[in-house]
Amino acid sequence: MAEGVPETDDLSGWTERTLPTNLGAIRDPEREVLTRLAECGFDEDQRFAVRLAFEEALVNAMKHGNRMDPARKVRLTYRISPERIEIRVADEGAGFNPKGVPDPTCDENLQRPCGRGIMLIRAYMDEVCFSPRGDEIRMVKFRHGRCTGGGTKT
Amino acid sequence: MKIETRQEKSCRVIAVAGSADIRASAALRQAFLGAIEAGETRLICDLSATDFICSDALGVLITAYLKARGRGGFLRLANPQERLREVLQTTRLDHLFEVYSDVEQAAACA
Repeated sequence: MAEGVPETDDLSGWTERTLPTNLGAIRDPEREVLTRLAECGFDEDQRFAVRLAFEEALVNAMKHGNRMDPARKVRLTYRISPERIEIRVADEGAGFNPKGVPDPTCDENLQRPCGRGIMLIRAYMDEVCFSPRGDEIRMVKFRHGRCTGGGTKT
Repeated sequence: MKIETRQEKSCRVIAVAGSADIRASAALRQAFLGAIEAGETRLICDLSATDFICSDALGVLITAYLKARGRGGFLRLANPQERLREVLQTTRLDHLFEVYSDVEQAAACA
């Protein structure tokens, strides 16, 4: 299920938050994550990348997953070490097939005002995968670049 | 995020300072689409002080670009910082928008 996401046994504890489906609820956890990343030595480019992916994942969960239904929640889980950050975002929607999202970089899609979130997440994080139903995204950013070999679930 | 508008030659410059994140999208939309509705269709988005942009904000710029162009005008981007330039390249939106190194150059091509 977690194909592509490394084992995380060597990291410190998880932080878990249940967020309301409210775009304003993204700000506080985003600030917490960015502060922790800075404390752990992630540079500005890396913090920009994580911020972008973090926001895109949470917005997708609220808008497309939960369809902005205030009765639904978003579960955010993350843990950060000086080596990497792993983030998991789960919504209470029906799920989706990430492979069914049109490529927004194709010429015929460039004028579409939406549909770039997942592509940006894939571009700015080192590892990204989805649960089988598509209702949870898991993403990893390494501080010293992507690991090669070992530590990857198969 | 802070939005300021000014005139540069025949163009309306909309300068976006700070983070164009999801919480700023509504204000961004109002600034650009409001300008177009008011008859301003020669638009320049000054990104020199924009430190972050999300896909929703990119969508606002695309919508404004299409509306301005549909009315015979344009929306040009000026002076994006390196990280924003990379976002534009990653999304290939640098193939959609005309991107200039500064506002003066963007306005000079009007």
